[in-house]
Amino acid sequence: MTAESSNETDAVEESRNYERGTPIVTATDLTRAFGEVTVLEDVAIDVDPGAVTALVGPNGSGKTTLLRILAGLLEPDDGTVRVRAPDDRPLGYLPQEPTFRGRFTVGETVDFYADLLSSPADRDEVLERVGLDVVADRRVDALSGGMVRLLGLAVAVLGDPPLVVLDEPASGLDPKIRAHVFDAIGELADGDTAVLLATHHLTGAELADRVVVLDRGRVVGDGAPEDVLATTGTDSLEDAFLELVSEGLTVQAGTEGSE
Amino acid sequence: MSRTSRLLAVVDREVATVLRTRSYVVLAVGYVAIVLGLVLVGGESGYVPLTVDLLTPVELLVPPLATAFGYRAVLADTEGKEIEALRTYPLSRLTYVLGVYLGRLAALLTVVVAPLLVAALIVPGTGGQGSGVVASHETAGSIFLFLRFVVLSAVFATVVLAAAVAVSTVARTGRTALALAVVLVIVLVIGADLGVVAALGGGLVGDEGLAYLLAMSPNSAFRGLVLGTVVSVVQSETVRAGSAVANLFGLGLWLVGSLAVAVVTVWPTVGEGSWQVVEDRHDQGPD
Repeated sequence: MTAESSNETDAVEESRNYERGTPIVTATDLTRAFGEVTVLEDVAIDVDPGAVTALVGPNGSGKTTLLRILAGLLEPDDGTVRVRAPDDRPLGYLPQEPTFRGRFTVGETVDFYADLLSSPADRDEVLERVGLDVVADRRVDALSGGMVRLLGLAVAVLGDPPLVVLDEPASGLDPKIRAHVFDAIGELADGDTAVLLATHHLTGAELADRVVVLDRGRVVGDGAPEDVLATTGTDSLEDAFLELVSEGLTVQAGTEGSE
Repeated sequence: MSRTSRLLAVVDREVATVLRTRSYVVLAVGYVAIVLGLVLVGGESGYVPLTVDLLTPVELLVPPLATAFGYRAVLADTEGKEIEALRTYPLSRLTYVLGVYLGRLAALLTVVVAPLLVAALIVPGTGGQGSGVVASHETAGSIFLFLRFVVLSAVFATVVLAAAVAVSTVARTGRTALALAVVLVIVLVIGADLGVVAALGGGLVGDEGLAYLLAMSPNSAFRGLVLGTVVSVVQSETVRAGSAVANLFGLGLWLVGSLAVAVVTVWPTVGEGSWQVVEDRHDQGPD
């Protein structure tokens, strides 16, 4: 399938042939504009429990906007999101550039969030899961950017929410930590958590159970990685990505994150 | 965890933030030094004269101090997007704002009240007529009158901090917050009084309405309450204190109004028509 294909929608539907459970998130007809620029248009997406769903797309394609809408942080102009989860902590969220108060230690930061939960959470277990247990006593302002992102991941998964939404969880990380992050994400999904992440790293997306390709605010590809490759007739997700998205720099049209 | 424990978690975090931030400590030390310096230099021999001496400094110093403590309070979370992680936790806007406010307030009140209490202890030691803890001169007053001043100063700081926290929720950048904070201090310290003078000069308000107009400014209301409940008790012939009820109402309005603005603006709500949790998948823990 190419971006010019007139049967694009059919191809998207056809690619959804992997095994799926009852969605934890069902979103329909999501539309969102910032001023004159429409960032999302009639997007429908569902997210399955126990699976990693990777949202990929060029800069400005609407990934962050879609994640924020699905996480209940941003109101769409049109459309609905239904989340099948406990009401007190339905989901965890990792912003694209997480920040925390610099004068607190890693442990204190996690303790603070744990105190907000309805049920006790195991701080040490969460820190170990993301690989920050050895720096629990280090102040946040002494952490590297990658470590802050790992702390954001810890805060996102604290309390074991059934849905975890991660915006570029591997951005800015070295390959070793990136692999560690994707391992941790895989373990989450193995534990029946639904993971929805946006990523530029197609290498990481290959490890996902499902890939949703977003371009100019529309879903242009959706399926298991091998299905996306099959429907695009390509050998790698990078080639599939280039096949599916429009030509040109879509960042010029996007206003993602600039509300 | 209950709503109260979540509130206390936010309060603890704010208190720790203030204690660990050098600029707040420097401001606090500066305020304490100025107040105690004025007490020592003034060498007053009675509690009411001490109150009169400290009234204007407190009226001028508390607004910038309270504003400094509050104008970035919520912005610390919103500017860096930490607020988006917070919003996914079972934490209401009211609990979060109150927690931030009360945490900052605990630190601020300690700074505002401590030097005044020290001053109350210094006065008897300075000797002279009327310096006793119990009034011995008709214009000296007792320590209980001075404690009224201390309480009113705390109330004044409480109100100004609420306005500063509202600034921190309305502003989306540090620069905007700083600009709004400066405007707030100018309005409180100078602007409101100038507005009253202009209203009087322009004939917009008469003598009968002046007390109510003054009550709308936290500084004027604080001043009026101090004059009416502390100074006028021993110097009633020289004091125009306005209406105590109106002054209290004015301060209450600023307090409640500011906190209401902060709660409403701290983060936008998403309508249930757009986003909704429809079903539990697991047993919930007790709230």
